Amino acid sequence: LSSLPLQILLYVNGIYYIFYFLATLAMIIYKSQVFSYPDDLLAPDLAVLFLMAILEVPRLYLGFKGNLTEAEAPLGLSLGLTVGSVLLCVYLLLWQTYVLWADVLLNAVLLSAYGLESGLKVTAIAAFVS
Amino acid sequence: VAKLCVCDLLVAQCDINCCCDPDCSAEDFSLFTTCSVPVVTGDSQLCHQKAAVYSLDVEANPPERIFKIIDQVNPSIFCIHATNYKQAMYLKSPEIPTSENFDQLLAKFGGATFSAEPDSWNLDTDAQNPPDVNETYRYEYGVPVQTEDAFLRLPSPVVSSWCSDVNPAGFLVNQATKCIRSVNVEKCDSIQALSMLFYINSSILAVPKSSQMVNITVQSIVVQSQNGMRTLLSDVLRLPMVLDGLCINAVLGVNYHITHTDTGEIIEAAAAFVLGAISKEALSIEQSFEISFTQENTQPVPLSGNPGYVVGLPVRAGFRPQGYPFPAAFLFAALALCSNKHSQLTILQSTSTQDCLAAQGARAPVLFGYNMISGCKLRITAAMKCQPLAQTLLDVLKGQSFPEYVASFGDSQAQDVLDWVPITQLHISEQMISNTLQSSCQIPVSLGIEVKWTKYGSLVNPQAKIVNVTATIITTTLKQLPSGRERIIPITSSVVFTDISSPAEPGYKAWPTINIKLPFDFFYPFV
Repeated sequence: LSSLPLQILLYVNGIYYIFYFLATLAMIIYKSQVFSYPDDLLAPDLAVLFLMAILEVPRLYLGFKGNLTEAEAPLGLSLGLTVGSVLLCVYLLLWQTYVLWADVLLNAVLLSAYGLESGLKVTAIAAFVS
Repeated sequence: VAKLCVCDLLVAQCDINCCCDPDCSAEDFSLFTTCSVPVVTGDSQLCHQKAAVYSLDVEANPPERIFKIIDQVNPSIFCIHATNYKQAMYLKSPEIPTSENFDQLLAKFGGATFSAEPDSWNLDTDAQNPPDVNETYRYEYGVPVQTEDAFLRLPSPVVSSWCSDVNPAGFLVNQATKCIRSVNVEKCDSIQALSMLFYINSSILAVPKSSQMVNITVQSIVVQSQNGMRTLLSDVLRLPMVLDGLCINAVLGVNYHITHTDTGEIIEAAAAFVLGAISKEALSIEQSFEISFTQENTQPVPLSGNPGYVVGLPVRAGFRPQGYPFPAAFLFAALALCSNKHSQLTILQSTSTQDCLAAQGARAPVLFGYNMISGCKLRITAAMKCQPLAQTLLDVLKGQSFPEYVASFGDSQAQDVLDWVPITQLHISEQMISNTLQSSCQIPVSLGIEVKWTKYGSLVNPQAKIVNVTATIITTTLKQLPSGRERIIPITSSVVFTDISSPAEPGYKAWPTINIKLPFDFFYPFV
């Protein structure tokens, strides 16, 4: 049986991610105007953000598909992509050039969502395999 | 933060009212009234930071300083929680000069201004960036006129009145200079600056950095004798030489005439020389130099402003010749030929002799914006007849050809009839008393030219425009003198420029209008 909490969480994650992406982009623009943000430090931060956005789309799609079709392969792939997203999120939380308090909040919420999702995916895979 | 103190300016001494100064003792603190620096913090954008707070407790007796370190929290959600870029919080440290970067730093910061030197002064730029074959250079206003070895020299006084030979002539900059040169008459044939060759031997480049040369031709040679008389000679090269204790054929003046095209190329150059003789006792002579630029195929008409008059330039005037109805036809050649130097608006020039009848012919041009007054004294004897005297005085005051029209703008063309303002002539008799008979002779004693001008155009760049010119002649009766007596009356002429411009009205651009129209099928399902 498909996991309902996982489904809800994936759906909410999708909506939250859109908000997160726009907010982080706006804050990077704000930081580049207000603080001294040389180009060779701005480029990696923007690259990480866009990479995370690119990873998120297949991750969520595979998650939806795997959960609804009760197949463990897409769910497993989604879990793998989640690991990558977690790493990028940790970068934005700790190793960005300027970490504002708002950055900390957004990234913490996203990380907790990822963590919860990973747990639910593992249980779902276990349920589907058996 | 506890160690930072912005108001600690005096070393090893206590600064007044500086609570963070470590050189102050408790007795000094008791004398303070306030703390000039109450809080010392780092960057206030950080979320958490330590702040040192200094305050004076005035209740206690004696007042003492309270020093606390507190945690300051920035409540904004955009406060900096952490930063991985160490340099963000500190000022940039300047580059330390080493032997490698010293030359580069010196070139950048060594001069009076921190900017690169203009390329036009550096003749080695060809070595650094070879000129592009397709790129053409043109002379621009003010650029020094280049010759094959350096620049076209126009000796002029620099700082003192002595001639400096390194003053270059600027393109399209008409200049006239006079300077003094020290000479040794015995060796005058070896002094380069006295010989004609010095001024014509290097040819001028037609365009900068090219190989097209324009030779300087000798236009005319005038020899000035000791008493000032000038004779025109054939233009054969004459070099200075010593003859009978005089140095003859020494250059006293050079007048360059450069003809150029309208694209900034020089096509002709000519020099007119004034040669003279220097006597043995002379230790220095005065040389005068002039350069003027003319565009090819045009007649040089000096403009007095473009378009508004420039203060200090002569007021342009002219005549309307007979037979041209106003305002029907154009007056091109007529007014143009007449608006040359000889029919400028001029005013009597005071001379040292101050005698009106002796000074006929000395006139000064009326320069825009300069109020002038001049005069002379007229000695009237009993034998003088009134009518010829009145006519002579009128000539003295007005000059030989008093113009009828004055240009309202500095660059008014002769064809534009409406750009020329007629001169209004008024005659006022000094004695308006009824018992003076009209038939008794009146002689003019004063000419007053009043030029009314206004500011025209935009507020940031107003142009001067002449609106009205009135020439007022005041006459007085000539009383018959008993024979043998003579009288001296003063004759004056003056020019006054009055600004009658009305205050500026600000003009604003029209408010942008928003043209929004809904498409006609906007309410599609309902309409």
